[in-house]
Formats: sequence, structure tokens, C-alpha cells
Amino acid sequence: MQVSPLANPLATVAQLETSGSQIDGIPRHLENSIRFAGAQLTQAAGILLRLPQEVIAQALVVFMRFLVGPEGGSLAEFDVQQVSAASLYTITKLSPYPKSPRSIINVFAYLSTLGTPTPTPDQLQQGKAEQYYVSEGTYQSRRLVLSDTEQRILKALGFNVHVSLPYTLGITYLQALDVFSHPRASDLAKRATAYLNTALLSPQMLYLTHQPGSLATATIYLAAKEVGIKLPEVEWWEVFDTDREELGFLVVGMLSVGSFAEEERAKWQGRKVPMTVDELEAEMKREDSGE
Amino acid sequence: MASRWADDEADKAEDLRRKKEKEEKKRLKLHKQQAEQEAAASASHQRDLESRPAKRRRLSNEAFFQDHIPQEKPAERKLLRFDGGSWGPCRHTSNFETLNHIEEGSYGWVSRAREVATGRVVALKKVKMDYQQQDGFPITALREITILQRARHKNIVSLHEVLSGSDPSEVVLVMEFLEHDLKTLQEDMPDPFLASEVKTLLRQLTSALSFLHSNHIFHRDLKTSNILLSNHGHLKIADFGMARYLPPPDARLTQLVVTLWYRAPELLLGTESYGTEIDMWSLGCIFGELLLKQPILQGKNEVDELSLIFVLCGLPTDRSWPEFWRLPNAKGLKIPRDSGAKSGGVIRTKFPFLTHAGADLLMSLLSLNPEHRPTAAEVLEHPYFAEQPKPKPVEMFPTFPSRAGQEKRRRRDSPNAPKRGDAPGMRNVDFSGIFANREDEQAGAGFQLRVA
Repeated sequence: MQVSPLANPLATVAQLETSGSQIDGIPRHLENSIRFAGAQLTQAAGILLRLPQEVIAQALVVFMRFLVGPEGGSLAEFDVQQVSAASLYTITKLSPYPKSPRSIINVFAYLSTLGTPTPTPDQLQQGKAEQYYVSEGTYQSRRLVLSDTEQRILKALGFNVHVSLPYTLGITYLQALDVFSHPRASDLAKRATAYLNTALLSPQMLYLTHQPGSLATATIYLAAKEVGIKLPEVEWWEVFDTDREELGFLVVGMLSVGSFAEEERAKWQGRKVPMTVDELEAEMKREDSGE
Repeated sequence: MASRWADDEADKAEDLRRKKEKEEKKRLKLHKQQAEQEAAASASHQRDLESRPAKRRRLSNEAFFQDHIPQEKPAERKLLRFDGGSWGPCRHTSNFETLNHIEEGSYGWVSRAREVATGRVVALKKVKMDYQQQDGFPITALREITILQRARHKNIVSLHEVLSGSDPSEVVLVMEFLEHDLKTLQEDMPDPFLASEVKTLLRQLTSALSFLHSNHIFHRDLKTSNILLSNHGHLKIADFGMARYLPPPDARLTQLVVTLWYRAPELLLGTESYGTEIDMWSLGCIFGELLLKQPILQGKNEVDELSLIFVLCGLPTDRSWPEFWRLPNAKGLKIPRDSGAKSGGVIRTKFPFLTHAGADLLMSLLSLNPEHRPTAAEVLEHPYFAEQPKPKPVEMFPTFPSRAGQEKRRRRDSPNAPKRGDAPGMRNVDFSGIFANREDEQAGAGFQLRVA
């Protein structure tokens, strides 16, 4: 299959119906929580590794691809933080910003001490990331796990690690809509980019179900409503090959990420989302005994 | 007689009638207003719907379109759908049966195999997994896979899929099988390729290079053993183990790329920022090799290679390559700075049967200064391809008995591509010996007979 600079391989219906985790008996709500936390962890680690957002975004898509489908990785087998670390590792290796296993392991070790997979930007910046260090023995064993997980991801995806991103496409679309003469155009572009970043974390895994062009179109639609810039009163989204139904689905999907995040925060108030297989088993036992 | 103004029955009736009329008018007016309001409301509602994406496409939007775009019918518009495919886990190696071993490449073993289910013959390339390596999955293999997935071109070998084996570290690339590589083929041929055949080969090679470079990929290990030829005259570049995407302009690159005989002088001199020009140098070496049926610059080591280059292409001068003296390894060189007219090189003499345009192309590809080398796109426009003899159509290409098809190849004595991680050693190469005896030589021969 030709890799296209405009299109991504999408998850099949069979892949969306079930996952390795569900086959292993992990309840869907826990899977959603853990995947969401893992995605946020990936974003946080990417920031600490000083990676450009486009590299982090590719790692996030690879992370999501690995966790769907009956042949994908199961959270009963892989620590979600390992999947996150290995996705970042393999994507940075292919990017112009390679990171050593040492950097990756240090950053994830530091993030695990924060006690939350969703540190605020302030927490990330004021932390003592430079001072955190793992011993040589720990480093060696984690490096082996990192390499092993990397290989498992590559094989589960059949080496389909290429990700086409919607960011530049979005800017091109805005230019095509002739928006940049407007004084608040940069607000619009910023909001659209923010929505693209939000969609990366979506529990609906929008990047696995929709092509970059449609994602960019939907974020422009949302951002224009929000910023109050009038777009043409025709069905302009069709110019960018997105039909009304797809646009509606994406708009609702993107808007729902915020409330999902709120629910998650309330649900895990004062507790840690299980980020390892052991923690997950403990959580499942707790749920069983509680009910 | 009743007063004229006295109320009577008739007047009363008339009054009643008028009143009724008024009321009727009022009622009508109200009704009309209501209707108008309703219409406006529904229109604005329509407009609302229009700007808000509804779950389903409305079928009756005539009202809206009549206001705005009276002519257009709400016909279904055809939207472009991109098919990016999907992904699935690697298949197992047992889907293929190995037929015979072909060769050992820079990072893996290649063999000819048949897919059990379809009978299709393919080339399998097994990735060498080095467990001592600190960097997980070999970056060279990862780059080769991702670049081949992307670089689909008729003159680039196509990657069908990637297999995994029973051993978790086993990774095998499935690629199309071609009967020959140019190196082995030339060794078996009694005579060099004809001028028209060289042109066809060179043009196919250059068009693949042009495609790669315009997609920001450079190959970094072009040589005749990495260039495959089918029995139908189709040429394809293979072995992307050294290839990578062009990095951001300020990034440092390893200078230890490209097999020695095809390595550009700026790499030998230790530059850390280079571009697609190094592929163009290799292209020049291959061009010369196709003409002579043997590699043109067979250096024994870096020092020897560089001295052979200077013999063939002449010496760099301040005018032809001003940046030359700033390269890391140039300091050790003792080149007579004002060598002037003697630095012309012997390309013209070495290829006596090449036409003027051909020699011009070869000399420009083998320019010492990377900036003077033409781009792949420029090469394709070169008059060499337009003049007689014309490139031979691939349908007319001769076929040759394939050695890769049936028998194990002998190991060849050409140097291999450099190993990753050896780069720091390059720093200490001492080039001072190259021109040690140059003064004596120059004193010897007074003139040289040139064949034009």
C-alpha cells in the first residue's frame, strides 16, 4: 500500500469493535481511562523531552494504533507507560530529533514520581526533572523492556508507523478560505491547532477513524464559531472533501473531549490511574470486591 | 321626511358592513403578518441548519437555495476519498519458502523465495539484529522500511510487506525480485554496455534519484551492486540501509557514508554538512563504470581514494572550490596552491569514445566542488540524452542469464558500506602522504599526448 502524505491508514471496523485488552477481560471503562491517561502521559513526556508537537502527535497516533484491534497490544500484558515510552522512542528515532533511551527512561521515571499522569504545565515546568536519575541496574532492565516493547509495537502495526498530520493542512485550508486578511485570524489558527491537539487525546480515537483533511476542516469550523469569524455561507467543507455528516460527527467528538476529561478527573479524584499491569490488576480486584 | 342625517335602517346596515369590512381587513393583515413572520422564521431556521452541521443531509433545501443560489440544484457533489489502507500485524515467515541465497548486504542477508500461497517469487531480506546495540530496533532497518514504504517509483525496488519470524527478533523484508544486479552482470558480460544501453540505464537511474531528492530523501550508498536490473531492461535502486530524510539545515550528519569507491571528495575530507550532491558524485562514478565495465576509482583506503580522485579530476583550486581549505581533513594536504593549468584532470583522456555532451555530463557530475554538480532533474534535461545514439527502448534491451536466479554468488572483493558508529575514526586520517612525491613526478614528464 502506497504511503500517502495526505492520508493515514484507518482502523477497520473489526479493530474498533474490540481490543486486546477487552479480550483479556479488562472492562471498557478502565481501558478508556488508562488509554486517556497514557495519551496525556505521552504528551507530557514529549514536552519534557523538548520535542516539537508534530513528533509528539505522531507518537500519540502510534500509541493509539497499537492499543486497538484484537491483534493489538493488551493492557493486561503491557504497562501503558511502556507503550507510551516505546511509541515516543521509535517515532523520535525516525524524526530529526532522536532521543536516547537514557533520556526517555529518565523522563518517564520523573513523570511517575509526580503521582498523576496529567500534570499541569506549571507542574511540568517547575519540577526538578534534571535531578531525577535511575540507577544503572534499573536503567539496563528498563532499556531492555523499552526495546522489546518497541519491537512488539512495530510488528503489531506491520511497520505502519507513518502518520500524516493535519496541522499544515489546516493552515493551507485557512489560506484557501482567505481568512488571514482578518485581524483575528491568528486566534482562529491557534484555536484550530488547539482542537487538533485535543483530538489526539480523544477517547473516540478520532485520528484512527478520520483522515487528516477532515480533522483539519472540523477544527476550523469549531474555531471559527468560537472566535467569531464568518466563513463562507456555503458548504465550504465539501471543498475539503468532508461531508456534512463527517463534519458533524467530528465536531461533536472534539467538543466531548473536554467533558470526558472532567469526568475522568472527578472519577479518579485523589487516586492514581493504573499505569502498570500490576496496578491495573489491583484496581480490577478492588472494583470486584466493591461491587 | 326624515333628516338626511337621521340614522335609519339602511345606515345601520351600511355601518355594520363597513365595520365588518374593517375587521376583515385587520384579520387579513394580521394573518399576512403572521405568515410573513413564519416564513422569515423558517428561513432563518433553514439558515441555522445550514451553518450547523446536521446529522443527516437535508433533502429539501430549495427554499434556502432559491434565495441565494437560484440556479444551482442541490445535487450530490462527489467528494474525494483518500484511501490510506489499514494496518495489521506482520505475517509469519513460514508463508514463504526460501529458494536460494543471493548475497549478504550491508545490514542483512538476501535470498530468493517463493510465497507458498501464490507462487510469487520475491526477494527476502533478513534484518541483522544486533543485541549488543544500545539503540533498540536498528535505525537503518527502520529507515529503510519507512523510506521504501514511501518511495514508490518504477525505478525503485518495491517493498511488499514485512514479516516476523518465530524468533521475536527476526524481521524480514519482502521485496520484488529482479534477476540481476549491475555489478555481477557487468562482471559476467564479455563487452561493456552499448552507448545506447548506458543511456537507458543512466536515465532510469537518474529519474529514480530525481524522485528521491524531490521527496527529500538521499540514498547515501549508490553503487552498482545496489542497482538491480530485470530481464526486461528495467532498472531499480535497492538497499536503502543508508538512506535518510534530509535533516534540518544545521544538523550534523555522519561523514562515514557511501562505499569508498563511490564516496564524494567532500565526505573523504570529513565534512559534516552535505546534501544530495553526494548521490550525484556516486552517479558520476556509476556512469563511468558503465562505460568502462569496471569501477573507475578503486581506492585501497581513504587516502588512496582521494589521490585517485585528484588524478582523475584534477586538483581543487581557490577558484573552483573556495570552501575546500576549510574542510576538516584538508589541512593535512600539501597541494601546490597555484597548480593552475596542470589541474585539469584526465576525464577526457580516460573516456576517449564518449561524445562531447557525454564527457561534459560526466565531468560535471565528477566536479570536486559539490555546488558545481548538477541536480538529478538537470541531468535528465542534459543534451547527452537527446543526441544520437538515442537511449535504447527497454523492450529492445538484451537479456542475460541470471545468476541470482539459480546459483550462489561468490563474495566479491569490493569494499562494503561503512559501518555505523565508526565515524569518529575518520578524524585522524592523515592525507599528508598523497602529494609527498608529487614534485618528482611533475619534474618527470614534460608533456602528455592527449586523445580528444
